[in-house]
Amino acid sequence: MQSYRLLILPFLILAVSFTILYPNFADRTLKIVVREDVYALPEADQKTLVNALFERWAKDYGKGSGWTIEPQGILPPKENPYYTVKGRFITSAKINQISQENQSFVSESKNKLEPTWIEETIRGGKSLSIKLGLDLQGGMRVVLKGDFDDYTSKLKDLYAKELNELKLTLNNPASKVEDKEKAKSRLAEIESSFDLSPMRKIVELEKAKMIIDNRLTTQNLTEPQVRIQKEQDAIEVSLPGVSNSAAILEILQNTETVEYRLEEPTPFVFKGQIADSERRMMDLGKRENTDIYLFQELVKNKAGKKAQDEFLENLEKKYNIPPDFKIYAMWARGNSAKSNLLPRSFVVLERKIALSGNDMTNAQPSYNSNSYGWMVSFTLTPNGAEKFFDLTSENRGRNLAIVWGDKVISNPVINDPIAGGRAEISGSFSEQEAIRLANVISEGALPIPLSVLEMRFIGPTLGIESIEVGLKAVAIGFFLVMAYMIFYYRLGGFIADLSLLVNIIILAALLTLMDFTLTLPGIAGIILTAGMAVDANVIIYERIREEIEEGRALSIAVTRGFENAFWTIMDANVTTLIAGILMIRLGNGPIKGFAITLCWGIVTTLFTSLFLSRLFMELAVNRIGIHHLNLRPFFFGKKETTHA
Amino acid sequence: MHNINFTKYKYFTLSFSFLAIVFGFVVTFAKYGGFAHSLDFNGGLRTVVELPADKTRSDLDGYFQSKNIEAVVILLEKEKNIYQLDIGLGSLDTIESLYKEIPEANRESSTSAIDRFVQLLRYEYKLPKEKVLSADQVGAVVGGELTEVGITLLLTTLAIILLYLSIRSQFKFALASSIALVHDILMTLALIGFLQIKPSVPIIAALLTLLGYSINDKIVVFDRIRENAHGKDNLALSNIINVSITQTLGRTINTSFTTMISVVAIIVGGAVELYDFAFVLLFGVIVGTYSSIYIAAPISEIYDQLRKKRFA
Repeated sequence: MQSYRLLILPFLILAVSFTILYPNFADRTLKIVVREDVYALPEADQKTLVNALFERWAKDYGKGSGWTIEPQGILPPKENPYYTVKGRFITSAKINQISQENQSFVSESKNKLEPTWIEETIRGGKSLSIKLGLDLQGGMRVVLKGDFDDYTSKLKDLYAKELNELKLTLNNPASKVEDKEKAKSRLAEIESSFDLSPMRKIVELEKAKMIIDNRLTTQNLTEPQVRIQKEQDAIEVSLPGVSNSAAILEILQNTETVEYRLEEPTPFVFKGQIADSERRMMDLGKRENTDIYLFQELVKNKAGKKAQDEFLENLEKKYNIPPDFKIYAMWARGNSAKSNLLPRSFVVLERKIALSGNDMTNAQPSYNSNSYGWMVSFTLTPNGAEKFFDLTSENRGRNLAIVWGDKVISNPVINDPIAGGRAEISGSFSEQEAIRLANVISEGALPIPLSVLEMRFIGPTLGIESIEVGLKAVAIGFFLVMAYMIFYYRLGGFIADLSLLVNIIILAALLTLMDFTLTLPGIAGIILTAGMAVDANVIIYERIREEIEEGRALSIAVTRGFENAFWTIMDANVTTLIAGILMIRLGNGPIKGFAITLCWGIVTTLFTSLFLSRLFMELAVNRIGIHHLNLRPFFFGKKETTHA
Repeated sequence: MHNINFTKYKYFTLSFSFLAIVFGFVVTFAKYGGFAHSLDFNGGLRTVVELPADKTRSDLDGYFQSKNIEAVVILLEKEKNIYQLDIGLGSLDTIESLYKEIPEANRESSTSAIDRFVQLLRYEYKLPKEKVLSADQVGAVVGGELTEVGITLLLTTLAIILLYLSIRSQFKFALASSIALVHDILMTLALIGFLQIKPSVPIIAALLTLLGYSINDKIVVFDRIRENAHGKDNLALSNIINVSITQTLGRTINTSFTTMISVVAIIVGGAVELYDFAFVLLFGVIVGTYSSIYIAAPISEIYDQLRKKRFA
């Protein structure tokens, strides 16, 4: 090796590692945001809320924790509605706990741990602190099951028109044999798509997982984890520290979609019927008996989606709406911009989805100064643009409704074919609604509705006491091992200890960079890494000593010792690495956490024991001019060193 | 250096290991009907309670032991004396009968096992309702799936190690290492079953760690054997094995010793919930070291002899 300029490398790597690890130890700033509606409360209620927070604060996060909170004991001003918490080691569990315990006061989703300058510079503000798994800090686990029945019924809507046409062709004695054959095979093809193979289910679950991932990141929740449970067709979401959060569940399960559907052709026969009978009721002075009024009441009473669906289905029966069409409510705001979004009238749309949310991307909310309202503009995918152009050229003069969730939010007439792949939706949106709609379009809707299969609070595998005692024990163990190495191998032991420390620091930095979540098995992996790193050095020193015993000059003995040990260390580590990679690929949960630390641990061990230790050792022998290298334990060591 | 004759006792050590494994598994299944039940693998009941300040963990442990209820007690928050109690499914019948012993006046009608357990606990510790912070019937964190994945994992790992070592060194060493690895896992499982240690996530971590340690240990010894055997095909392998093991003995002792220091620190340190983890790991390190010397090396020798006989 001989080139001591290489010495700069370990220093460089250490500097980088410490920089990466810095946010873990740094003084952090946390912003706890007060809910907007708190400011509208009477003063006495505000005071109760503030007192509740600070009583709890005094009990748990007070002096001992080293955290300070500003402003103390009063409500922050409305223009800066947050408390600033400063301190070290603010964990995600604690952040979530604070907001959980003060749900009516703290706006959980807006709490923010301010990024340190390092996170700002290298990660664009993304966190660089080591994350702890549910087994170490506890939290909430939700298992969401995919509702594939609902999924197929939606698919059936998509193909409704085509299916009908195909059936007509088949049943029509006048159609040609050739066409019948074609229709038959197409029918089989479509129907087979309603049949969900396990593989298809996984694909849909993967899509849902991605969307949930996106939604959780925008929620600013600390360290959520999402994984698919294949056996159950379910998605498991782990939220450390969170013990009960209805709001998050709602966000996770939200299956809102955006789609275009054509309205029934003019003259609006069905819509006319409904409007006529509604008008008759009004004329009789029975406004509260009109269907739209009843429907509004359902919405106001929060009767839920199921009740609304049933209501609309009954309406379809009442007016004999053919199966190709479906009744929707057109939602709008009242006269003032502040009034609620409510169903205002009924429209009858084709059951067939003309353009689905999958055809749209990149939505942006923007303020329309002409109409003093918010709108959403978006791009169509190439495929979607083509569909949209065909749709608008074939259906000029018809109305094309935009359905968000199950609400019709806009129902414009198609005047001209629209080409170019850009479009916008203008409705009477508030800013929040425009943002939500844009999110639904950009992130996509959940492909499958999800229902809660299991929701539970997970206690940590270890109690606080065990973690404290365990850490102390590991630290003592580490110290003893290091002391033993110095006792046994003297200078060699010191070098081994040095490279062991560097090893652990690099490993921690690597794991941080990869957003690894530390679990108990992960810690086991780190302990094994330390053991193997010590072993590598032991192998090397035993080899060097053999060389010295055979009477070789010190510098040659060192070089040969490293060379002889090289393949043994390689073989041992590569085999373990293979086992580790297999564990990552096949295992999950505890096995994976262990394997990831192990694999990266092997990489760092190979670097520190084969490169760093050697560099240090050669430096000591060849540069600093150590002439005696005694690799025998103190007190027991025979004098057996050779002069260089 | 004076050589120690390690291979002399090979038939004794091989049969000893074999019998120990068989014995462990027979006791596990015949006496206990299998491995111990645990919350992580089988699910069970989980309550979090805030106990009066004068109650300690040993009170709880004592209570559950005296009533013959399988429970894991975890201290969640020291200052407030909050404990998490995990009850295995095996104790449901016991809880049922204890529940019936509660005087009628203190008993509310209940429908679920978890409800009965909470009432029992509240009665026993005079707890007001709000001190029971949570109570859930929980499913297994790991379980059936893991056993399946675990076996696939072990077999594939062994196959690949076999392949890698066959290419890097010789088939006999690869084969012997793999058999010794299986030996280590089986020995440890036999111990876990024999002592009815509750399988849990930390225990899995311990098993994986010992697998890693054991692979490492075997390869170091075999590398030396291979090196010493290089170009000496005619020499009896047993002699080479003995020389090699003796040469690496210093390293073996040092590595086992340093590893054991950390593990023993955890056991002595007194982290109650880590005790099983550390104990299994300690056993694993000993077994791993033992099998490198007394199982893997002799097997390679026996294989060598058999092969030489066949081609002689």
